[in-house]
Amino acid sequence: MTELWVKNACVIDPIRGINGEIMDIAIRDGRIVESVSNRADVIDAQRCLTLPGGIDSHTHVSGTKVNFGRYMSPEDMRAGRTKRKGKMHVTSGYYVPTTFGNSYRYSAMGYTTLLEGAMAPLEARHTHEEFTATPHQDMMANTLFDGNWAVMDAVREKDIRKTAAVVAWTLKAARGYGIKLTNPGGTEAWGWGEDLTGIHEMVPHFAVTPAEIITSMIRANELLKLPHSVHLHCNNLGKPGNYQTTLETFDIVPDLNSARQTLYATHVQFHAYGGGTWKNISSKAEEITRSVNCKPQIVMDMGQIMFGRTMTMTADGPMEFNLHCLHHNKWSNHDVELETGSGIIPVTYSKKSAVNCIMWAIGLELALLTKNPYQCLLETDNPNGAPFVKYPEIIGLLMSKRYRDEECATLHAETEKRTSLFALERELDWHDIAVMTRAGQAKALGIINQGKGHFGIGAEADIAIYPIRTDSVDPAREYRKVVEGFQKTRYTIKRGRVVSRDGEIIVDGANATFWVDAKVPEDLKMENDPEFIKRFEQFYTVRMSNYPVQDVYLPRGRRIETEVFT
Amino acid sequence: MIEHDVVCPFCGCLCDDLELECEGGKIVKVQNGCALAESTFMTDTRLPSPIRRTESGWEKISYTEAIKETAEILQGADRPLLYGWSSTHGEAQSVGVHIAELIGAVIDNTSTVCHGPSILAIQEVGHPGCTLGQVKNRADVIIYWGCNPVEAHPRHMSRYTTYATGFFVPDAQRDRTVIVVDTRRTDTAGIADEFVQIEHGGDYAVLSALRAIVRGKTSVIPAKVAGVSKEQLIRIAEICKTAKFGAIFFGLGLTMSRGKYKNIRNAIELTDELNRYTKFVISPLRGHGNVYGSNEVFTWMTGYPFAVDFARGIAFYNPGETTAVDILRRGECDAALIVASDPGANFPRDAAAHLAKIPTVIIDPHMNATTALSRIHIPCTAAGIDAAGTAYRMDGVPIRLKKVIDRGYPDDAEILKKIYDRLNGGKGP
Amino acid sequence: MRVILESKVRAKPNLPIEAEAIIPRNFLKGTDLLVYEGNKERTLSELFWIFVEGTAVSPENIEVILKGDTSRIKRVGEYMDTGSIVIERDIGMHCGNFMSGGTIEIRGNADSWLGREMRGGTILCRGNASHYCATGYRGEKKGMQGGKVEVFGNTGDFCAEYLAGGTVHIHGSAGDFPGIEMRGGELIIEGDATRPCGNMKSGSCVILGTVHDMLPTFEKSGQRVLPEWKITADVYKGDVANRGKGTLCVRS
Repeated sequence: MTELWVKNACVIDPIRGINGEIMDIAIRDGRIVESVSNRADVIDAQRCLTLPGGIDSHTHVSGTKVNFGRYMSPEDMRAGRTKRKGKMHVTSGYYVPTTFGNSYRYSAMGYTTLLEGAMAPLEARHTHEEFTATPHQDMMANTLFDGNWAVMDAVREKDIRKTAAVVAWTLKAARGYGIKLTNPGGTEAWGWGEDLTGIHEMVPHFAVTPAEIITSMIRANELLKLPHSVHLHCNNLGKPGNYQTTLETFDIVPDLNSARQTLYATHVQFHAYGGGTWKNISSKAEEITRSVNCKPQIVMDMGQIMFGRTMTMTADGPMEFNLHCLHHNKWSNHDVELETGSGIIPVTYSKKSAVNCIMWAIGLELALLTKNPYQCLLETDNPNGAPFVKYPEIIGLLMSKRYRDEECATLHAETEKRTSLFALERELDWHDIAVMTRAGQAKALGIINQGKGHFGIGAEADIAIYPIRTDSVDPAREYRKVVEGFQKTRYTIKRGRVVSRDGEIIVDGANATFWVDAKVPEDLKMENDPEFIKRFEQFYTVRMSNYPVQDVYLPRGRRIETEVFT
Repeated sequence: MIEHDVVCPFCGCLCDDLELECEGGKIVKVQNGCALAESTFMTDTRLPSPIRRTESGWEKISYTEAIKETAEILQGADRPLLYGWSSTHGEAQSVGVHIAELIGAVIDNTSTVCHGPSILAIQEVGHPGCTLGQVKNRADVIIYWGCNPVEAHPRHMSRYTTYATGFFVPDAQRDRTVIVVDTRRTDTAGIADEFVQIEHGGDYAVLSALRAIVRGKTSVIPAKVAGVSKEQLIRIAEICKTAKFGAIFFGLGLTMSRGKYKNIRNAIELTDELNRYTKFVISPLRGHGNVYGSNEVFTWMTGYPFAVDFARGIAFYNPGETTAVDILRRGECDAALIVASDPGANFPRDAAAHLAKIPTVIIDPHMNATTALSRIHIPCTAAGIDAAGTAYRMDGVPIRLKKVIDRGYPDDAEILKKIYDRLNGGKGP
Repeated sequence: MRVILESKVRAKPNLPIEAEAIIPRNFLKGTDLLVYEGNKERTLSELFWIFVEGTAVSPENIEVILKGDTSRIKRVGEYMDTGSIVIERDIGMHCGNFMSGGTIEIRGNADSWLGREMRGGTILCRGNASHYCATGYRGEKKGMQGGKVEVFGNTGDFCAEYLAGGTVHIHGSAGDFPGIEMRGGELIIEGDATRPCGNMKSGSCVILGTVHDMLPTFEKSGQRVLPEWKITADVYKGDVANRGKGTLCVRS
């Protein structure tokens, strides 16, 4: 039995309605309890800002395409190198760090749970191997279904129950957490080098539209009662004028769930462009947020870009190829049979580029114009917009108009006219930030009842103590202190153990992987469906019996079962 | 007893549809596999126990002694080399990296004599590829460049390309066009619809010419490039441009001929160019069953896919400097641990010879040419036969190798963990 | 101030030494520097006999002289910005890495990656340079960006790969693929070259000797007299396979 007592913590726990109370937190055997004995270890938080462990609801840190990004970038690997020290292994990489690099740096920032943004089921085993090598964060994987043949067939047949059954079988085989759709239908078109330009366009050879895929998957998701909602990377990412597609997509989302959103729209900054060409591109953040502000069934994340070099990597193969044609940087592509695609290309966001400046502004606008912070979460689509180590700077910008003004003064001259950022006065407060970096994610991902994102009795003791005294820092003026404060916790505690202290990892990790075992009626199980089996064996290049991820890959798997639907 | 859906660990195809018949702890029959698979599963030349070289020959030693001495050899070295890794599973590869990091060693895998150049090219221009099923289901044009799958990857064409029935290519023989490019008429050239014969070392020039033709700059090209006529070049470019889905596969003919990684780079750039007109992909035909796995494991742990030097505490990568062949040729390393590989047979002689001059330990199920150069040979399980573990197919798809029989050997991951523990004063990785 | 470093005989002479600490500037503070032999840290005095003559108030006036067998010493002159280094015999890999100023003179031969990622300054190699002379690091879009590398002997393969700025002058012959991927700067080869300037995007290359295996994708655009070399040269634009707009001049 191990006991820990954190005293004098200035706690902000939005889920339980606590906002800046000085209190003590008692922990026993990794969970929050009422009280502990006097033999407990003591940490005096000295009235520092104490939040539940950070949760990143969309980050690319593990799996085939992330590793592609690493292996094709030796020039980035040499940028972030650290030596082995104590419990810390060697790390390399700045915008695509090695797995240990990711884990240590996230831990230093107080993050204890991560959702991997994209996992192709055929290559799930690779993602899970890397999860094990990201030892200080609990992990879960968004499972890609956007180009899934069996799904598209069921959608075409308008059979939601069958769609749900395919999803359930695949999620279990991949040990995935939720449904991810990236450029739905577009990734299948990319199998032929094509793309789709609207959500009502037919996917070649499959006779379904992205709109149909999205709405069917939403209904299947809710039928299965999955903890997370459908997680969508909208069609037409990155194209000037694409805000129309985004609004159209938002308009077809019903409100089917009272506990959380019905659609999680990710990195919306990349989907909020007006104009029609790179020359006249503008921000449509106002239109987007106007839509989201009256749709509680939608939650988005920012997809903030920050200036500098980084790597783009998504399942959106055609988009990545377009970037390659535009900038001529080295480009990798990896389409996955019967499932999805991916593309990887390095990019530099520059203040000299009007387009990049507008993109930077849009992310901030989205956060500032969304009324409810639960509906716009802080993310950069790491590393696509920026490496996650930049999150503290984004926090600084959101909390300080002055910081924004200073940055805006250095932007391309066109920016002011094409976005509304310069005029926005709103400054988010500590509570807003706590929502956007943990409480909102916990709610959106459906892990509150797994004990994540709050300090309720019985919750997992994932705690981040930042060197910030909220009573003596004015975030609007002293944004540098805010940025520094969020860069490195004094303590990051995971399941009751101190894992990081002042940026240094002091124990070996033992993370858990959350996955969903969704139940379906016996007669719908795909393992009993002869047509499913036949097509699988004919068109995949692995045998169906070799496809599912074996238990050995999840040494500390946390299986979440759902109720059978009827 | 019949085992179904067994994965063959031999080559990069990782065929996973084999049926093995086992009797009395032995494999007696292999169905669906090629000749290489049969040989892999049924050959029985395992070294029974660890052995150490003596003045007059070899003596048997215990695993404990062997592990102890191996740790001592590595501990004392100023520039130890850990090489091989390609025929074992990811679990062992991970421990290898941990050992290298702990003792400041150089760790390298067989990419160094095989597709290392492909990796270098990818690091310059990226890799426009896909999983093999995309090729099977869609490709109407297949190009084999500088490789001979009929001999080295016997089931590649029947499982993934030429003869495989795909969703969009139901009549494979009729619907697919196969182009073979090589310096000589191989068996694979024998089944090609179009054979392009190139002079030795002429691949780069031909690829440049094809790129220029695809871009519409045909007039610059002379009448013959490296022995290939301009007419044939134009014809090939046209076939590629009008394909619905083209797939290029290449091997050592491209990676090991003069210019090496520049040849691959040029082929990748041709693929990039073709993507502006149609869908085209390119993939290396990886030789060893799990060499791609060692690239993947090394990369997520260190940042680099092979040739990683930990001498300075951080991970440093520089092929030509930190690659095993170069280190051995320069006589730099003073101790070596060889795992699941046979550099004694595959390395240039002057490099392999250095292994005999330093204390070398080999961990491998079979005696091989490297044993003759080593001081200690520790036998272990063979991944995919008597040990389960993860392997990565040539296209990056991870498949779990099965344990089909039990021969009573320790898993090499276990042996390596024990070596690590000794080096680390009793604490695990 | 002159700092003379004479390499000592070593028990394992083939072990590489990494000596990035050997730059003139560092000797302002004394000779208490660290170098690395394989995976072991060593002091400078463990591996060298050290003699210091005179004093200096600024690094511009510091000359470092390396004597003895220095053929396995890597990274000498790394990030050097001023002063001078003279190597009396051969030097190991990565000599003059990231150099931005000052002078390095090698009186023997240089191993691979001489002047890697150089930005400024001058490197003179009296003997031969090996592979990857005056190039960049894997994955980067630019190699050498400024300064001057002059080799009086021959170079190995891939000389001036990814050249983006500065001048590389080879008096002897270059090996295979000199100037490949070049996108700026000037490459001069007085001797022979094989398959020069593949994938060239920009920059200029002059070859006075014989070109072997000229690539088929260079477009001959005429002839020109080059008075500084006293020759007439065929002028090529290329590399056409790569949308290239570089200039390759080969003696007619």
